[in-house]
Amino acid sequence: MRLQLDEYAYLNTPLHRWDPRYKLAGFMILIFAFSFVHSLHLLPAMMVVSGALYTVSCLPLSFLLARLRLPGFFLLMMAVLLPFFSGQTALFYIGPVAVKQEGCLDLLLISVKFLCILTLGIILFGTTSFLTSVKAMRALGLPSILADMVLFSYRYLYDIGDKLKTMETAMKLRGFRGRDLKSVGTLASLAGTILVRSYEQSDRVYRAMILRGYGQAGGAGVGPRRDEFQACPRDLAGLLVFIAVAVLFVVAEIYLP
Amino acid sequence: MHIPDGVLPTSVCLGGYAAAGAVTWFSLRKISQKENPREGIPKASLLTAAFLVASWIHIPVPPASVHLVLNGLLGVVLGYYAFPAILIGLFFQAVMFQHGGLTTLGVNATVMGVPALLAYYLFRLRNTFGRGSRLSTGLFGFLAGAGGIGLAAVAVFVLLVTTIPAHMDVEAERASICALTLAHIPLMIIEGVFTAALALFLQRVKPELLEGES
Repeated sequence: MRLQLDEYAYLNTPLHRWDPRYKLAGFMILIFAFSFVHSLHLLPAMMVVSGALYTVSCLPLSFLLARLRLPGFFLLMMAVLLPFFSGQTALFYIGPVAVKQEGCLDLLLISVKFLCILTLGIILFGTTSFLTSVKAMRALGLPSILADMVLFSYRYLYDIGDKLKTMETAMKLRGFRGRDLKSVGTLASLAGTILVRSYEQSDRVYRAMILRGYGQAGGAGVGPRRDEFQACPRDLAGLLVFIAVAVLFVVAEIYLP
Repeated sequence: MHIPDGVLPTSVCLGGYAAAGAVTWFSLRKISQKENPREGIPKASLLTAAFLVASWIHIPVPPASVHLVLNGLLGVVLGYYAFPAILIGLFFQAVMFQHGGLTTLGVNATVMGVPALLAYYLFRLRNTFGRGSRLSTGLFGFLAGAGGIGLAAVAVFVLLVTTIPAHMDVEAERASICALTLAHIPLMIIEGVFTAALALFLQRVKPELLEGES
């Protein structure tokens, strides 16, 4: 279970160098502008913008493709449902079943929006280290309890994932097959053991953190230091460009037929 | 069950963020009323990661297998930390595994997290029937697990079918919501049985985890 999101955060491109706070704001504004689009005429422009940003980010194409595998199932489900159940105008028939024109266009709109927004999300979190992204969110007003929880969960996600793998292997070696509903109880005990071990680990972690000053004034925490982020005019210019592009999409969506 | 990007209109996505913000505020307010609010953070975070991992366990439903959502169980174990935990879990799923999406994060958190909070309140009712009783733990564990996923499923389908930019008539929409909800009844039962079995396991091994006030 190694799907590191920020493995290319060390690259040196304008998107990597952009102040994380401005980058977060700029990308989220553009992402919401994309979600506002319903006109098919704007889809090529959305693809051009996403493609250009992905090229500028210098992230490998394989990085994007590897992340499209899981959501691909959702698109497949849409592709099976929409063309047959949405709309009135029959394009052609597969046996007795009509493939509807409106359904195909709905599918095109949903798929392109989905892919473009996904690409922007991957660029946003792929060009900054995860810790820096969380600090940027904290600087933008994320409550400290949530920021702390995000970082701790991220830290232990892989650890607990590896524990689960080891325990599943141990169960298989003892002859557990888990092929019928009777095994639900055993699997519940497996999940319960994961929870109990995590609970006990959290207790040890908390004690260690208290010793290091967690929760005290000036103690350890994930909040950004005052001088952590220092924006220059170029960062602001980047944000203004993103806002301008987002506004263009919204205006075009409103005024295009 | 997580609604991905590109499906819902922007107004619904923004409404989802507003609703998630309100419920997060409510949860954080309840958490901050504790004597030492920070004490629960490492515990809730580790359990958030553990829940995310536990939801990857394949439950065999012959001839296939399913992944559980476990939002009801999250409510049972985490109490008021359940909503922030679900918000964070969904954020990870969106940015790391591309399940769900960034624009739909608020909507997904609301439809999964509010049933988790309701499951917490529901599970607390077992105290009126005797906290130590295995029967009440099993029964209310089942109701919390099945109710959590059931409410979430209904909310997701109503949202999807009524707001998806597809050209469907009202009758077809109604029929799809009913069909999709009915199709999830077996999953509700499995999630309920799994939650009940796990609650009974925790009651035997680590009862303090069931207090819902970790």
